[in-house]
Amino acid sequence: MIEATFPLLGTAFVVLIVLPTFALLAKAGLVMLERDEVGGPLHGLNLRYVLLTGSSVLPIAWLLSAGLHQAETAKSALACLFDHDTAELCFEPGFFALMLAVVVVASSIGVMRKHRGVRVSSTDAARTLLRRVARITSSDPVLASLRDRVVVTDDDGFALGTHGLLKPRVFVGTAFAARLSDEMLASALGHEAEHVRALDPLRYLILQLALAVNPFGRFLLEPHATRWQAAREAHCDREAVILGAAPLPLADAIVRAARPGAREVVALGARDTAVLKFRIGMLLAFSERAPARCCHQGPSAFPVAFVLLLIALLLPHQTGTAALDALHTGAEHALTYFWR
Amino acid sequence: MTFRLRSGKKGLEIRLHDLEATIMDVVWGKHLSSFAVGDVLAILEKQRDIAYTTVMTTVTRLYEKGILERERDGKRYLYSPKLTREEFMESTAREVLDEAVGGHQAMVMLAEKVSEASAGELDDLEALIQKRREELDA
Repeated sequence: MIEATFPLLGTAFVVLIVLPTFALLAKAGLVMLERDEVGGPLHGLNLRYVLLTGSSVLPIAWLLSAGLHQAETAKSALACLFDHDTAELCFEPGFFALMLAVVVVASSIGVMRKHRGVRVSSTDAARTLLRRVARITSSDPVLASLRDRVVVTDDDGFALGTHGLLKPRVFVGTAFAARLSDEMLASALGHEAEHVRALDPLRYLILQLALAVNPFGRFLLEPHATRWQAAREAHCDREAVILGAAPLPLADAIVRAARPGAREVVALGARDTAVLKFRIGMLLAFSERAPARCCHQGPSAFPVAFVLLLIALLLPHQTGTAALDALHTGAEHALTYFWR
Repeated sequence: MTFRLRSGKKGLEIRLHDLEATIMDVVWGKHLSSFAVGDVLAILEKQRDIAYTTVMTTVTRLYEKGILERERDGKRYLYSPKLTREEFMESTAREVLDEAVGGHQAMVMLAEKVSEASAGELDDLEALIQKRREELDA
């Protein structure tokens, strides 16, 4: 019972107190960033993303690493965990790290289940559409990056969207494409090209996982995550126009993708009224004057996130695990206090 | 200078109300580098019935918006434009863009309660796009 105190109570403390506290701090940063009127809603997208995801991922990474560090003996981690008689000292932090990992995996399952794949079609209609897409992409140097990255589906409910984590592909629904002119389809592909270039499906998945592992903090961050995602879509619209997409056909394609019936809710962005109005308004303005890269985007999200993650993982091995010790003794004192 | 952009308007009227735009059209068109309210009234009276007080109020509003500057000349004010028409249109275009991609108003818009667009709202958006397309073609 006593040996299980820290792993169980410590994990509960992390989920109930530590992660929501980090979410609160991240929210304060996000509110400040979003209030910054210079650059508007597209300002600091990468920094906002790091705050949204880092507030969950970094403390968990540190705690996992610290738990494993305390479990370090001359033996392997598994020996440390299960050979209880000879490694009593390392059992509790090792079991704590295992419990935390179980919580992370369990909360991720729901998110992963929602990520269902899209069926690639090879019917006559699909082949015709592929030829049309190939003609469009070959005549536009910007869309050349999408060569071999566009696939077609006959799924009636599917409009247009990017799927795939490390090697994303653009899926185009045949029924949806039939309702678009070539110019609309080219502009829409320009929008998706930015999603492909920036590995946005991976970004979105990490964001959803980060929110899922923080069930009590996510209600603080979810509105900011929704706004970030909307701003990200608007950013892709702007990048597409900067690189040559026609703003009005893109606006048309976005509105058509938002028509009821399409199951693909991320088709060219969201269906939310406010977001649609914002994006269409922006594209109407772009039709009068071409946009420039106005807003400071901050450093790229992936390298910064990777460095931060590395620091969080290595820090316990370099600077000690005093915070985990405090959590450990705190959990045992709490149990003693409530037990008597 | 900050202005409320007027949706569905083109040219000067994006930022100026109808009479404000008319007066600035006169000022820039006639190259009035320094003028009194009566000078503008004399030109406008040839085109339409308009009262002195209406012109005076509108000219004052243009001064308050920072489009005109003025200096006292005895009992009256002499006004002059702060910007050329080209400079004004340039700043207007930039402001249209800033309004679209930034600004607090846009963030407030994104902060609205999430609600799925209805068919009617989508029709309105399509009509807006079509209208802009016709304006650009014209």
